[in-house]
Order: sequence, then structure tokens, then C-alpha cells
Amino acid sequence: MRIIVEAVSYRYPSGVQALQEVSLSIDPSETVAIVGENGAGKTTLARHLNGLLRPQSGAISIGDWDARQHTVAQLSSRVGYVFQSSDDQLFARSVREEVAFGPKNLGWDSERVRESVDLALEQAGLSGSAGRHPYDLSPSERKFVALAATLAMRTPIVILDEPTTGLDASGVDRLSGIVWALRQAGISLVVISHDLDFSIEHVERALVMTQGRIVADGPVKEVFLEPDLLAQAQLRQPQLIRLARGLGIPFAPSTVEEFIQGYRRGRR
Amino acid sequence: MSQGFSLYLARDSGLHRLHPLTKLSLAATLLVAAFALPGPWSSYAVFLLVLLPLAAWGKILPGFLRSVARSVLPFAISLFLIQGLLWPGGSPVAWLGPLSLKAEGLAFALASTGRILMIVSSFLLLALSTRPDLLMIALAQRGFPSTLSYIVVTTIQIVPYFQGKARAILDAQRSRGLETEGGVRRRLRALLPLVVPLVLSSILDIEERAIALEARAFGRRGTKTSLQVLPDSRAQSVLRWAILALAPLLLVAGLVL
Amino acid sequence: MISVQDLTYTYPGATGPSLSGLSLTVPAGQVCAVIGANGAGKSTLCHALTGFIPHFFRGTLQGGLRVADLSIPDTPLAELAGTIGLVFQNPFNQITGARFSVLEEVAFGLENLGIPREEILDRCRSALELTGLQGLADRSPYDLSGGQMQRLAIASMLAMRPRVLVLDEPTSQLDPAGTEAVFLHLRQLASTGQTTVLLAEHKLEWVAAFADRVLVLSAGSLAADGPPRQVLGSGDLERAGLRSSRYTLVARRAQELGLASAAPLPVTLEQAVEFLT
Repeated sequence: MRIIVEAVSYRYPSGVQALQEVSLSIDPSETVAIVGENGAGKTTLARHLNGLLRPQSGAISIGDWDARQHTVAQLSSRVGYVFQSSDDQLFARSVREEVAFGPKNLGWDSERVRESVDLALEQAGLSGSAGRHPYDLSPSERKFVALAATLAMRTPIVILDEPTTGLDASGVDRLSGIVWALRQAGISLVVISHDLDFSIEHVERALVMTQGRIVADGPVKEVFLEPDLLAQAQLRQPQLIRLARGLGIPFAPSTVEEFIQGYRRGRR
Repeated sequence: MSQGFSLYLARDSGLHRLHPLTKLSLAATLLVAAFALPGPWSSYAVFLLVLLPLAAWGKILPGFLRSVARSVLPFAISLFLIQGLLWPGGSPVAWLGPLSLKAEGLAFALASTGRILMIVSSFLLLALSTRPDLLMIALAQRGFPSTLSYIVVTTIQIVPYFQGKARAILDAQRSRGLETEGGVRRRLRALLPLVVPLVLSSILDIEERAIALEARAFGRRGTKTSLQVLPDSRAQSVLRWAILALAPLLLVAGLVL
Repeated sequence: MISVQDLTYTYPGATGPSLSGLSLTVPAGQVCAVIGANGAGKSTLCHALTGFIPHFFRGTLQGGLRVADLSIPDTPLAELAGTIGLVFQNPFNQITGARFSVLEEVAFGLENLGIPREEILDRCRSALELTGLQGLADRSPYDLSGGQMQRLAIASMLAMRPRVLVLDEPTSQLDPAGTEAVFLHLRQLASTGQTTVLLAEHKLEWVAAFADRVLVLSAGSLAADGPPRQVLGSGDLERAGLRSSRYTLVARRAQELGLASAAPLPVTLEQAVEFLT
């Protein structure tokens, strides 16, 4: 499902001009990282995609829908949003009930709900915790509950807002597995993240935002190769890119293996 | 003070520089006066001759009038209507369609409104010209328990935080397909997914906040000092006692006269 | 400055201990990083060193626990405050809410300690300078970014001049700019040598550049203890459920393929550049 954002501007009631004539389009199955400093407009833009915010000028279409003509609840059947704070949504007595909330709201029959919940729990590694109270789980497990709750809605587009916050190495691995599975399934992913090391491993395209504008939009490796661009957004390049640069080999490896290959070539 | 919903308006004025307890004594005495003073007109006189000039001295007159109007007018209007229309017996002075407004009812409403006006405006004068944290420090210096003062002052800053949290929860649940528009039944069903996360996550926050306070020695017994110096003077101290002494005098006068 | 002997602690109602037989000695002025998988006991250790275990969380505590010459189980929390400081993950929950400016917020703890007013002002000013917040002294504490709020929490602790400062994942909720600022200011603090710092963290790149010593916690016990290059470059990390930084992983792979010498593995960018050149 294609996302089209056309010259969208948005100013908060406080007077902050958060988006200035932003335009972009995301093709079905594309994976995009949106990076930028705090206040750049990343979250503001993402919230326009599921209707939480309405553009003050410009247009947004999600597939064949004009986003402005649909409620957030309606758009939730097409755009899943995984918020940064998972604790701001957990309310059910069991993980299963929590994950079933979204599908039930979409009006699916109980068989379809059950199937989707089972699959989402498995994808998020929560099958063993299905009957437990979400608050009996650790904070990072609760993040995966919130993630499963959105996965269960089977939306063609999924937005992840700072998904790696608070996760340790095994948590990031688990998340990586889920993201990989989503990509295999052809889901469009929009990842808002400070973690450029994670982003470069999982997305194809990167958008850099600063002060309400998109200042760069292209293949992730190209965009992340520009230190000045990223510095504008108060970000440092991913570790492997910095290492390659330090060795005088200017390329953008996203994994250790890629780095080694480039390193070998560079040494010859 | 950017966030928070305190009424305080910062000004460079004599009223603001008065010790918080002086202003509190005035509000307390006027509260007693509201019930002790005779006749319907005395409270309006006090409002015009005491409170308005003080507000002007404090350079908060426009804000003061706005806050007073916002608080008192709704009461006043409904009082006048209800008492005027429903006063048993009585002599009608005006007609509203088939219903009539009675003079006795209007007089009663006038007197009650006067009392409300005096009480509300004297506390508003206090709130608009006094920083809540300084008022709390002043009370703490007189022995007011610190935990109580903490609760009062933080409420001012914490309410916007809860409003923000409630909004975040609403956004999250709407993004999971929760419809919030519609009939009563639908709205009731929407309550649980909105209220439970607020309560549960607040409990976690409260625990962390308690730890943070302990780490800042809040639980320590013994004298606490204050960064803020509350300017006071012998004259003000005398003034406070004089004002407070008025209260029983007024009570007696009200009973006798 | 910190002396832990055979510490075992079980939360109330828990099936097993969160810390088992932990022993640790930290000399004054050292900057110690504690790393470990989620659930390994980092937060539990931080709470134990600051007295919240056992005084706030209850549960059963066995073993020796002395911090800043005080026996933690025998000293009430109110007496520990000021000598031992704690900063944790969520910047927002560390703002008291009882003060309306950054300066007053920092002063709060000193007021509670009964410090004379003149000294309060001095200490607040230097704490704000040490955390780079001196320009924001009149701002409302709620009018700050997450990173600034966290620095405010640190400044509020520093003003109390603790002999030991414990930080439990202070940069977890911060963006890269906020993280960098926190580490820079902690480094400045550490260089004065007046405070012993114990920092629980996930961000190994920063830990490598910053800590004098790294402790690895795994299932409530100490799995490794040593200088950063030694601990972060060894296989201990993987055994404890962690992963080495990409610099180390690249170097290790290069070594396996015979592309680099058998020198100790690098843990920072500079070391990695040197290693691979």
C-alpha cells in the first residue's frame, strides 16, 4: 500500500512550526528510517500517517484513502503504530487479551482474532507468556507485548517509534528477527530511530529531518555516508561507517561481514 | 513558570512582596467577615474599597477581574434565577414569561452573591499574587507538615503531566482501533483501556518518584533551610496579628448588631 | 569506598535471589561500569548500594554491604541521602515537582539537609556549571529536553556532594546528543577524583571510552571484572548474554581470517583503527 504525503505543513497550538511543506512517498514493501534531532518533526510526520494529526495544508493518502477523511480507528486497519512507551497502552489482564484488543476493534470474527493473536505471540516470542498479566513481565518484555499487539492487526504499514530503547543485545536480536520477518512478508516499515547502527541493518532508505523539513532522502548507505548531514541532525554515523572512514576506506557496511569484505578489498 | 495550572501572575509590586502569611491572614479574616458582616451591601463595599485597590496595587487588576468574573458570575446568575423564581410567596418585581422574579428572592441572592464574591476574590487575590511554593515554605516554617505542602505544590505541576499522559494513552488506544466517538455504551466500553494504563503506569511513576525524593533527603528529620528568603518585617508581623484579631471582633459585632 | 561481601538478596515474594554471593571492592575515586543483560541484577545492585535495598524494597539481604564507611542495612535511608546519590533512567520522575526553577530544583536536596543558604547558592551554581546548565537556571524544570532533565537530576545529586554516585542506565531514554552530554559531564566529574562513580549501562561504546573498570553481571553474580579493554574484548561478554561492540566483532573476525595480529582486541573506535591499520 503506497503512502503519499504532499506538501504537508503543520503547526502546533503552541506556535511551533513542526512540518514545513513536507512531501514524500513510500512504496508498498519499502522500509524507511526517519532520523533527526529532537524536535525535527519525525514524530509529527509519523502521527500524520495514522491520522493522529491532521495536516493544516497539503494532503496525505494511504493507499486509496484520503487520510483526512478517515478516523484514527479506521486508519488503524492500514497503519499500525508501535509507540515508544509501551506502558501507555497496556490494560488487559493477560498478554493474549491485550494482543487481541486491536483485532477485535477491527471487527474480525473470533476465529480470525485467535489465529492472528497466536501468530503475533509467536512472532514476538511471547507464546509462553500468553496467560500472564502484562505487568508481571519485565519492562523490555512489555515492549514486545505492545509490538505483538500491533502485529496482530496485520496492517500493510507498520510504524516503529524508537523500537530499540531500553533493549539489551538479546532484545535487539529478537527485534531484528521480527523486523526481518515483517520485511519478508512485504510490510512497509517506517522506523523512527536514533539508533543508526540498527537502522542501517534493517532499512533500505533513510530520511533525515531537521527543523520540519526533509533535508535528505535516499538509499540508507548513501545518506549515512554524509557526516555533515548527520551532524546537522546531531547524529553520529554508524560505528562501522566511522571505522571504515578511520581506515581511509569510505564505504557504508551495514554488517560485520560486509565490513570485512570491504576491508579486504581496501587493503589490496 | 511555564507549565502547571497555578493562578500565580508574576509582577513587581508591593502586594507580591508582602509575606505570604500576611495575605493568607487577610483571606482568612475576610472569610469570617463574609458571614459576620450585616446587610447585603457590606460585602460589595469591602470588594470595592479593599480588594480592588489591593489588586490594583498588585498590578493584577485585569487578571483579577477576569478570574473573579469567571468564578463568581456563573454562581451569581444561577442564584439570582433560582432564588428569584422559586422564592415561596413574595412580591414579584419582574416577569419572565409565565414565571415571576420575587423581590425577596433577589435580595437573598444579592446577599449570597456578595458573600461568595468576598470569599472567592480574597482567595484569588492571594493565589494571583503569591507563589505557591513560597506560601508552602512560609507555612512549613510555622510547622505545617512538609509532606502536605509537597502534595499541594506538586499538584499544580503534576496535573498537566497527567493530562499529557491521558492524551498519550488515548492516542495509543485509538491507534489500535478504539472508537471514541459514538453512543454512551461505546464510550463506556472505551473507559477501561483508557483508565487502566493511566492508573498502572502512574503507580510505577509514583514508586520512582518516592525513590527520587528519598535520595534528595526529603525523609530527613531535623530543620530544613530554604534558598528562598521571604522578606518579612516587624510591621508586617504586627499587621498580621491585627488582621487576624479583627476576625473575632467582626463575629461579635455581627452577632450584636 | 564500596565494600560488598558475599551479598545475596531476594525480592519479597520472588522465587530466587536477584543477587547471589556478590563480592566487590571499589576504591575511592574510581569510575566503575556495570554491564549485564536485562534481568542480570544491575538495577538491584544499584538499589543495594544506595540503601533502597533493603530499606525501600524490603526482601531478604545477606552478606556485607558497606558504602562510604556506612553499613547500608544498619543505616536509615534518610541518613544515607547526601552521602550516597542515585540517578536513574527516567528523567521526568526525578524532578520533584515542588520547585519552579532549575536553580531551586537543585537546591531542594540541600534545603532538606539543612545546609545554610549561602552555601546552598554556591553549591548549586557549581553543580549547574559542572552539568552545563548554568544558562538554564531560571527555566522551569519541565521546560527542558529529556537530556537536559537528566543533567538536572545529576546536578541535583552533585550539589549534595555525595561520596558515591550511582547511576542506573542514565542514558537509556536519551537521544545521542543527550547521551553524549551526560557522559561528558560525568567524565568531568570523575576527573576531579572527589566522587566514586558506579554506572550501570548498555552502551558499550561509551563504557569503553569512559570507565576505569568494567564489571559484568550475569544472573546475579559477577562474571568478569577488569579494565575495559580486557573485559569488553573477551568472550566473557557473550557468555553473559551480551554482545561485544562492532569494533570488537570486526577485529575478532579479522583475527580469525588472519587479517590482523594476535594483539588484544580493540573496544573503542581509535583502538580499532589502530588495530586494523
